[in-house]
Order: sequence, then C-alpha cells, then structure tokens
Amino acid sequence: MTRTLGLVPAIVLATALFGGAAGAQTIKIGVNEPLTGAFAASGTYVVNGARIAADEINAKGGILGKKIELVIEDNKSNPTEAAAVAEKLITSDKVPVLMGAWGSSLTLAVMPKLMEYETPMVVETSSSGKITTTGNPFIFRISPPSAVEAAAFKGIVDKLALKKVDFLVINNDWGRGTAEDFSKMMKDKGITIGLVETMDQGAQDMSAQLSKIKSSDSETVIVTTAVDQLTLIFKQAAALGLKKRIITTGGSQNPDQIIAQAGAAANGTMHLTTFLPWFPDKTPNPEATNYFITEWKKRGFEFAGCTESFRGYDGIRTAAAAIEKAGKAEPAAIKAALWNINIKGLNGDIVFRKSGPEGKESGQSQPNVYLIEINDGKVEMKTI
Amino acid sequence: MSEFLQHLINMLVLGGTYALLGIGLTLIFGIMNVVNFTHGVLYTFGAYIMFIVVQQLGLNFFLALPVAVLAGWLLGAAIELTLLRPLRGSDIDTTMLVMIGAWIAMQSGTLWIWGGVAKSVTTPFPEAPLVLGPVSVSWLRLFVLAAAAMLILVTYLLINKTSLGRAMRATFQDHDTASLMGVNVDMIYTSTFAIGSSLAAAAGALLGPVYVIFPQMGDLAAVKAFAIVILGGLGNITGAVIGGFILALAEELGAGYVSSGYRDAMGFLIIIAVLIFKPTGLFARAERVG
Amino acid sequence: MKAIITILAVAALASVPLWLRDPYLLNALITTGIFVIGAMSLNLLLGFTGQLSLGHIAFFGIGAYVSALTSLGFDIGLPGDIRLVHAPWPPIAGFVLAILVAGLCGYFVGLLSFRVRGAYFVIVTISFAEVVRLVALNWVELTQGPLALTNIPSIALPLPGFGELMLRTKMQNYYLVLVVALTAYLLIARLVHSHFGRAMRGLMENETLAVSVGIDVTRTLTIAAVISAAIAGAAGSLYAHYIRIIDPEVFAFINTVTMVIMVISGGKGSLAGPVVGGLIFGLLPVALRPVMAPEAQWIAYGGVLMAILFVLPRGIVPSLALRFARRRSGKTALAPVALPETGVKEPA
Repeated sequence: MTRTLGLVPAIVLATALFGGAAGAQTIKIGVNEPLTGAFAASGTYVVNGARIAADEINAKGGILGKKIELVIEDNKSNPTEAAAVAEKLITSDKVPVLMGAWGSSLTLAVMPKLMEYETPMVVETSSSGKITTTGNPFIFRISPPSAVEAAAFKGIVDKLALKKVDFLVINNDWGRGTAEDFSKMMKDKGITIGLVETMDQGAQDMSAQLSKIKSSDSETVIVTTAVDQLTLIFKQAAALGLKKRIITTGGSQNPDQIIAQAGAAANGTMHLTTFLPWFPDKTPNPEATNYFITEWKKRGFEFAGCTESFRGYDGIRTAAAAIEKAGKAEPAAIKAALWNINIKGLNGDIVFRKSGPEGKESGQSQPNVYLIEINDGKVEMKTI
Repeated sequence: MSEFLQHLINMLVLGGTYALLGIGLTLIFGIMNVVNFTHGVLYTFGAYIMFIVVQQLGLNFFLALPVAVLAGWLLGAAIELTLLRPLRGSDIDTTMLVMIGAWIAMQSGTLWIWGGVAKSVTTPFPEAPLVLGPVSVSWLRLFVLAAAAMLILVTYLLINKTSLGRAMRATFQDHDTASLMGVNVDMIYTSTFAIGSSLAAAAGALLGPVYVIFPQMGDLAAVKAFAIVILGGLGNITGAVIGGFILALAEELGAGYVSSGYRDAMGFLIIIAVLIFKPTGLFARAERVG
Repeated sequence: MKAIITILAVAALASVPLWLRDPYLLNALITTGIFVIGAMSLNLLLGFTGQLSLGHIAFFGIGAYVSALTSLGFDIGLPGDIRLVHAPWPPIAGFVLAILVAGLCGYFVGLLSFRVRGAYFVIVTISFAEVVRLVALNWVELTQGPLALTNIPSIALPLPGFGELMLRTKMQNYYLVLVVALTAYLLIARLVHSHFGRAMRGLMENETLAVSVGIDVTRTLTIAAVISAAIAGAAGSLYAHYIRIIDPEVFAFINTVTMVIMVISGGKGSLAGPVVGGLIFGLLPVALRPVMAPEAQWIAYGGVLMAILFVLPRGIVPSLALRFARRRSGKTALAPVALPETGVKEPA
C-alpha cells in the first residue's frame, strides 16, 4: 500500500515536468477539441483546419515578430475532460487565448474556467443559445446559434411556400434549440408546425420516426443532425418511400459526403449551410477560400471535411488577429482586442456584437447562411 | 393503418438483425459465464472487414460476408486463447473487467487505424425500395433479413444436431461433469467464443452497409444485445430470437405512438418489467441451450 | 501497522495542496477524488455483498441533478394543472437532499433488483441507469434536457457568526472532497466491521448458510444498497457544484465503467482498494496525455487495465497484502489468509 501510494507523487511530478517546458519564443493558442470519443471525426477536421491557419500565418512571418504555436488537446468528447483540458492549457501551457470546444456541452463546461482565469475563448462550432446569453464576457463565438440561422431562413420561407412542417432533430442542445427557434420563426410566418421527432445521438435506425413523418400531412421536414445521421436518414427515407421535401440545418452537413454515401437518395434535398467550398468565387472572401481549399487538398484531406474544418481555420485567424491588435499575448488585452477586430472570414466578416446580460456580454459574430440543393449528385446554390 | 403496417414491416427487418446480435452473445454468456464486452467491438470489426473487402480491395459484396465471418472467428479465438484461458477460474468480475479493457483498447485501435469519419459500403442492390401497397422496404434490408435468418438457422443446427453442439450443451449444464465425461472443456470454450464472435462480426458485416461504419458503432449494438439476451434467458437461442423481435416491436411502437425521445428507453423498461415479474427471463423454462 | 499506514496516507493526501501548486493537477486530483468516492460506494455493494451493479452512475447522476436543481430552483407543470415552483436554496441544502434522494432511489432499486441475482442483476442496474438518463434527457422542463443545467453555484459552508464561506478555490475544493471521502471511508469501515458487515459477508460467501443462521437477506442487501446509493449521491453533488454544469451525459455508461475499473483493479472487498485503483486510473490519463497520441492513450489505458488483472487478478491491494503476509509468515502454502485491510477471512 505504501509502495503504491508512493507512485502517485511520482506520476504527478513527472507530469509537472513534462508539462512545464514553456518557451517564450512563440505565441501559444490553446485548442480544446474532441479527438477521441463520439465527436472524434469533427474535432479532427477542425484541428486540421486550425493547423492550416497557423502554418499560413507563420509562413508570412507570424504575429508580433513571433511564430504562433497551437497547443492542441483532446477533450475526449467529455465535458469533465473539456474543463480539465481548459485548466491545463491556461495554467500549465500559459496560453493567453483558446479555441474550442466543438460541442455545446463541452463549451459550457469550459466556460466557468474562462471566468476563473479571465482568459478569452473563440467558440468555432457550438450552437447552443445559452453560450452567449448567460453572461460570460470571455466568450467570442463565430458560429451561428440556431436563432441566427432561423432569422436568416426567415427570408427564404416565402419563396419555398412552406405550409406545414415536421421536425426530426438530434436529441441534444443543437437539435432541440433548432426545433425551438425555427418553430417560433415559422409560427410568426403563419406556417403550421406538425410533429417534432427526436433521435438519440448515435442512433442508427430512424425508420420508426420516419414512418410516423411519412403518414403526417405536412409537406416539408426540417432535419438537424450531423452528417452521418443525415446520410442514414436520406437512405432510410428513400427506402420508406418518403416523398416530402427535406431541408437540413446546422452547417455540419458535408454535402459531398452525403452525395458519396447516400447516392440518389440525396437528390432534391436542401441544406442550410454556412460555407460554400463548391463556389469559392461566391464566398465573401474568395482569395482566402481558394487558398484554404487548395491547402486542404494538398494535405490529402477529404474534400468533404471542408464544411467542418473551415471553422478551425477561421477560429485561429480570429484569435491571431486579436493578438496582433492587442500588441501583446496577454489574456486581458486579447479580450479587449477581440471587440475591435474586423477580418474577412471564409463565411463573412468576423465582427463581434454584444449578446447577453448587460455589463458582461459575450461576443457573437453574424456569419452568412446559404441555401444549397443537391441535384443529380451535384451541389447547386439557391439564390436567396 | 398504413403507418401501423409500416411499423410492423420495420419491426420485422430490425428484429432479424437484433436476433442475430443476440444469439452470439447468449451463447458466450450462457456457456462460459463471461460478460463479453468485446461483442460490440467484434460487430464493428466485421463491418470494417466488409469495408476493406468491398471498398478497398474492390472484391465482390457477397464474398465479403464469409470473409468477415472467418475473420471474426479468428479474432474471437485469439481473444479467448490470450485473454480468457489464462484467467479461467477467476471470478466473473475479473474476466468482465479484462473484457472491458480489451473493448477500450480495440475500439481506440479502430479509431487510430481508420479515423473517426464514417465509412459506407456500396451494395449491388437497387436503391429504389420494394413497394407493397402502402408499405415499402429496401432490398438490401430484405437480403439482410434473409441472411440473418440463415445464420440463425445454421447456429441452431450446429448446437442441436452436431457432436460439437452436444458437447457445448453438456458444458452449459455442468462443466465439471462434462469434463469428467471426456469433453475437452478448453476446446469447447474456445469454440464457443469463436462462434459467438463470428456471429457478431457477421451482424456487423450485414448491418455496416445498411447503416454507416464508424468506431463507436458497436456500443449501441452491444447494449441492445445484452437486453435481448436477458429477455430471452441466458444461453437460450430461441429466446434470443424472440427477444430480438420483442425489442424491435417495442422500439417501433414506442417511437411511433409514444415518444421518439423514449425510443431507446422502451427496451430497458421491458427488461425491468420482465425481471420484476419473471426474474429469469421470458423463456426460463425452455431448453436453455438451443 | 495498519493504523500507521492509514494515518501516513491521510497525512500525505492532506499535505498535497501545500506543495502542489499546479491548478491542472489539483483539478485532476479533485475530479479523481469525486470518482473515488463513487467507487468506494460501489465497493460496498460489489466487494462486500458480491452484487455487481453496472448502473451505479445513476445514483451519482441523481445526486448531481438533485443538488443542482435545489440550488438553481425550478418551475414545472405536473399533471392536473399543478405547478411546482421551487426557489433556489443554498447549495449545502442541495448536498443534503442529494444524499437523501439518492439513498431513497437506492432503496427502491434495491427492493426491485435484489429479486434477481448475477447477470440479471447486472442488466437490471444497467437498464435503470439508462432509463434515468433518458428521463433526464427528455424531461426538458425540469432538467433542461440536453441544454444542460449551467451556472450551478459553488458549495458555500455556513459559518455561524461569519456569514458563509464560498468554496471557490482549488485548495478549498480539494479539502472538501478529501473530507467527504474520509467520512465515506470511515462510515464504510465502521459498517464493514460491525455486526451488519458480518451479515453482508456471510451472505456473499454462502447465502444458504447465512439464511439458516437467521440473516434477513433482503433487509441486509437493501440497507447496503441505500448507504451505497447515498454516498454516490454525495459524490454526484460534489461533482455538480465543482464542474458547475451538468447534462444527461453524466449518466454515460463509461462513467460507471470508470468506477468499476477503480474498484476491481484496486481490489474489491478491500477498503483501500477503490482508493488505490481510483488514484491510478484517475491519474493515468493525466500521465499519458503528454507522452502519446490521443487514441494511443486509450489503448494504453485498456492495456494497463488488462496487465494489472493478469499480474494481480484479485486487485492490487488484496494481492499485495497477500504477498506481504506470506513473506512475513515465511510460508507459501494456500492457508486461509486474513487480509490486513479488511480482516475479511477467505472462505475455507
């Protein structure tokens, strides 16, 4: 027993030594992403996008005369780990700014740590409304929460002549939030809301939910989930002979992966997305988009990952721009500078507006939202 | 009414795959008294074998199935020989925990080798479904149902009509006596685990193309398999088959008429109810192996 | 001898915040400590009554939700147009309620699940945890479902005459977890060495014999389940107020697996087992993090687990104690050995 207990301080000491090597030659940016567990695929894409941004910035000489260094840690798709990783990045690695943490519950778990150590974080993916409304002034989000998406969709609903709509959403903050915000917007527009069906994260068979939707009298289904479940839904809807119009939201669709995996079943589906890698010239920043896509392909990653990884690219560029503006790599200065940046992101200008309770507002940028349609295995842009 | 018919068709197709998941586990659980946490990983493994053979090697879809069964058999035998045989005689908790360790390590290995991005397999079946009046079902799923039924039948015959099966049944009833009667118990254990594993891999190979293939796909499958085994009674193949259909029915009707949020709760609620009123499973009185 | 080791171990643990300043490592120790408390409670069932619960996280999660909701307040509608409104109470009240409610749930699950044994018991407990998870996920009005409960306050200790002390810093939380862990440890130790503890072990070793000498099986098992669940609820409450956000993922099966790993690798049926196993498997990810790729860390985690069970199949503490005892007595025979940690006699 004494022998075993003796081991513990040894492990602790060893880790302290490993983690303690810090060099002031670089400017560090902490990256807190899921690299194992349920969200491993998405987190890895975002990290690969982040690496492209860091390499691009360093190739141009870095910022403030120093290279930037990404300190990438795996939060294991687990909120407890996400909080622990934030703690490590801030206190052991001494990063002055973070990017993370993909899923909303992961980001929410990190937020008390940001308050504790007064360190800002750029939120690149999470969509829960709570992130920017609970009064955490260290949050700067570049992804659209579902309310922003719903507002962008508002202009489109008339053209689509929607009458009655069913929902099929993933049973997490993202899906539930989308169903809530879109229902509210549509009711104001006089559209009837039919069924609101949910599916568990990781569920593979949605036939039961789809059979129910098939028998309802609505003409459109709004589907919100990540690409893997979307693929399954299209295949299973086709197998059930479901003939309704399907519109997906959330920007995690990877239409190329859907086309590759769902085949003809994907034809006629519409998708609300935040990035247009298929039409670089129609994006707000064609030069950067082309560079990013060329670099992404050069590194041998699948093109389908672009719609996920661009957020990592934009997130790191946002953090770097703030450090440059701040003139020093210190949390308080970076936090103040984040309010003043204005960079051309891959999906619109990144400018933070205030959101949440007065006096402790979080930053929220307003990215563009596009509607695309898949026809004959090709992505087509719908002009809104 | 047409919705109800569609739910029934879905139940049939889903139930067949659940039954296939259940029988492999019930054999191992019943005969070896091992809570096999690697069952889900073997399911995933079978699906990746399908992916390798069809997508990466470009070979025939129907050839991939026996390859997956064989690969599952070999991996199962390897797990039994290296992890379980040395621990024979340890209590059920210790072997269970070793299986948990193997599950964690093997699942992370899959993630390391193939990455987290889901893979899919192209099949020779037409995409347009078979439409029968108000209901429709995909050809691929009908094939899966037929293949599952065949595998279940083969397993049933193996257990009931062969000398290996007789030895397995004897070991299930009393392994000490079986051993005294000249049954090579070590060999029976290895065979049982290998057969159970090959059935899990077959289920993965069949369902991988229906769904998508990713490292954690086995977790949910394993949970369902445990539920089915308990519904049917340990070691009871017929029970596992019926249990699979009951679970599928409960999920379909639960999601269709109660609430889709509670779809996965249905199976567990049935288990709790069954165990309160009939603590040894629904089919305790039936012949236990076979 | 045993007392000296215990005192030294407690002193060593109590001194940690005095020399360890790294907040990340302290944070790892605090979360590990919370899960060790959960593991100790699981050990009471698994190690001393022989019932393997794979749904133990349910009580932990119930404790977390009860404590969080008590301190945050809620407003829900019940059938029959009744509205149940609860104004926020101090977190310490949440901690107490978490223990009580988790204990109560332990009572009902105990009644229900001890009707079945072995593999069936295992599945009933898994099912229970899954049903509770799905309720937490879908009863959005109460639990906010997947939207998570956020801004959970830190625990505040009422100090008569001085107002109250908010436990915000790492050091304060470390000592809070240590005090709760020690209390749980002593409670379990008292219980195990009492008349009741002998009844439990008698049951585990030979149920028929135990019944014939007049032990009330269901009562004994139910009491053990209630205490075990109550301690797990306390751990869950600490978790909620330390991490300060909870969502239904707290009920994830992997969290139960973590506790089971801590108990069995450390040595079930040994009081120190979950502590030793818990510290190893709680801190192993911390040690692996800087040296290998994320996927490899999990492979190594599984590998270490299998290796420990191969070398020390009874678990670390009982196996080492056995070797130590053999060396001292100078014989290697298979004679029944008193395990120094617990005084549990091996069945002859």
